[in-house]
Amino acid sequence: MSTDLIHQLYAGLLPWLGLSLLLLGRSPILSRLRIVGSLLLAFFLLRIPVHGWNIFLWIRSLEANPSIIMSGLLSVALWQRVSGRELFRLSDWTAAWIFGSAAAFTLYPMGLGLTSVDSYCWGWDRGLPIATAAIATALLLLGNRLGVLLLLPSAGFFLDLQESRNFWDALVDPIYAVISLGAVILLLLRLCTQRQQRVASFDKGQTAC
Amino acid sequence: MPLFIRWILVAMAWLLCAAVIGIEKQPFMEPSFAPDHPVASFGRRESPFFNEEFINPDQNLAFVHVGSTFEFGNGILGGLWYGGPYEYCHDNKIYFSSLRNGSWLAPRAIMTSTQVENDLGRPIRCLGNPLMLPNADGSLELLFVTIAMGRWSGGQLNRCVSKNGGLTWSRVERLTLSPLCNFSELVRNRPIPLAGGGWCVPIYQEFIGKFPELLWLKDENGKLTARKSRITGGCAFLQPTLIPLGGKKAIVLLRDWTKAKRIFVSRSQNGGFTWSKTVPTNLPNPDAGISGLNLADGKLLVAFNDSTSKRENLSLALSRDGGDFWQRIFVLNKDPDSYPSYPFVMKAHNGLIYVAYTDEGDAIKLVNFNEEWIDELQPKKADTSGP
Repeated sequence: MSTDLIHQLYAGLLPWLGLSLLLLGRSPILSRLRIVGSLLLAFFLLRIPVHGWNIFLWIRSLEANPSIIMSGLLSVALWQRVSGRELFRLSDWTAAWIFGSAAAFTLYPMGLGLTSVDSYCWGWDRGLPIATAAIATALLLLGNRLGVLLLLPSAGFFLDLQESRNFWDALVDPIYAVISLGAVILLLLRLCTQRQQRVASFDKGQTAC
Repeated sequence: MPLFIRWILVAMAWLLCAAVIGIEKQPFMEPSFAPDHPVASFGRRESPFFNEEFINPDQNLAFVHVGSTFEFGNGILGGLWYGGPYEYCHDNKIYFSSLRNGSWLAPRAIMTSTQVENDLGRPIRCLGNPLMLPNADGSLELLFVTIAMGRWSGGQLNRCVSKNGGLTWSRVERLTLSPLCNFSELVRNRPIPLAGGGWCVPIYQEFIGKFPELLWLKDENGKLTARKSRITGGCAFLQPTLIPLGGKKAIVLLRDWTKAKRIFVSRSQNGGFTWSKTVPTNLPNPDAGISGLNLADGKLLVAFNDSTSKRENLSLALSRDGGDFWQRIFVLNKDPDSYPSYPFVMKAHNGLIYVAYTDEGDAIKLVNFNEEWIDELQPKKADTSGP
């Protein structure tokens, strides 16, 4: 299989997984027909030609390098939705959003010109794969399943899945960054609310005494 | 997850890490710039020489832009530009010509949007900003920009190679150089060969910030390594013109997007890896392209629009102190209606200096002269306007 075809197939994976997940909806019970139908419908919807090019390729022209972690997370989400089994626990998802936010914060502001230091260049050095392996080690030893997913960027990079030869592109992409930041903001808001409620109930208890 | 499985996965993480590190080479550890075309004594003219002509005299395109010149391995001069009905048109093409027996051959389209789409397997809006990298082995590398969406800020860099003097070209490959959808990596100015092989190409980004960068390219046995480094960040400068000063020393002159309306300069002592703080020169810049090079006697030459408001003329200036202070020496184009812009300066092996620029938006004008002609020009009265 040619490298170009591998890149093209990989770039099409993320939109297909994402659209399939959307088409499956939120219904708690999924028939086999609905599962297969959603997967096929997503595929054929993305094959609809627009101005001579199918939607898969329009998406590829905008983002040719969806991150391997985001593709992994969507695969996990789709598997959980289809099988009904929990592959990632809440703590695993939380770790995924924190990792995505941290990567986005490290990469995008500096990578897009905030300072004279270009963090995107680190993706061509040895430091980033080593840092990823170190984070994966820590997560695995803590029993967090995001650690397993963090093996995929190195594997994908080694197998030349992406058009990019920059390791950052295996770790994070704009979609993963936006979802992660949104999830972390929600998480922080929830923590703040819980803390306020705890303080309020503590104050109420003291007044009652 | 059982502990032993965790440890197996940890071992896998480090094995994969080692594999990734093993396949990625670091070819630009200690780059130094190759000497900028030494003037060959046999080609040096005795008397001052100045000439101007059009590269594409009978092309009749409504729009042409970003002209540049290069030398084939045999010393023949080549010209490169893009054009078509209008700036962001899908029908625009990259054109190529060469100077044979004193006259330019009919322009030939060497790259079209359709060809790029077929090679890359995805749609593009249009193409532009071509730049040729003539390798020592006679092969030609073509760098050019394609726009995925929007305007130039949505541009992406592409590359292809010709091993038969530009008759046929390899498949186009996309260079991934930017983190956000690979947007906004643009090329325009003269590439500089590296002493150890490969190229250092001035590039710039203008998506969210506007800042200059350097692209480091090396093709070893058909495997391309592309890296980039940043000259400065922020939202102020673009379109760097890189002038090597010998060994690892170099300066860049920068197009200004700030209210200062000056050409800015930055210096490097370590082969372009780190750069000094940018400082304004005494030359104005109306947010327009500039191009410069060093001459045989150590002087620096720059072609620029001598205005703070618009591209109303195109001038030459000379620096005798490594780029700190510049003196205007000649006005190449005084006609404000011709909107002369985007100069590209190069020095050929025969000692002639070529300045290609866009004239009236529909022609690429080429001015050529020798260093004797520059020597004969009496610099205008020293500028009093300091930086």
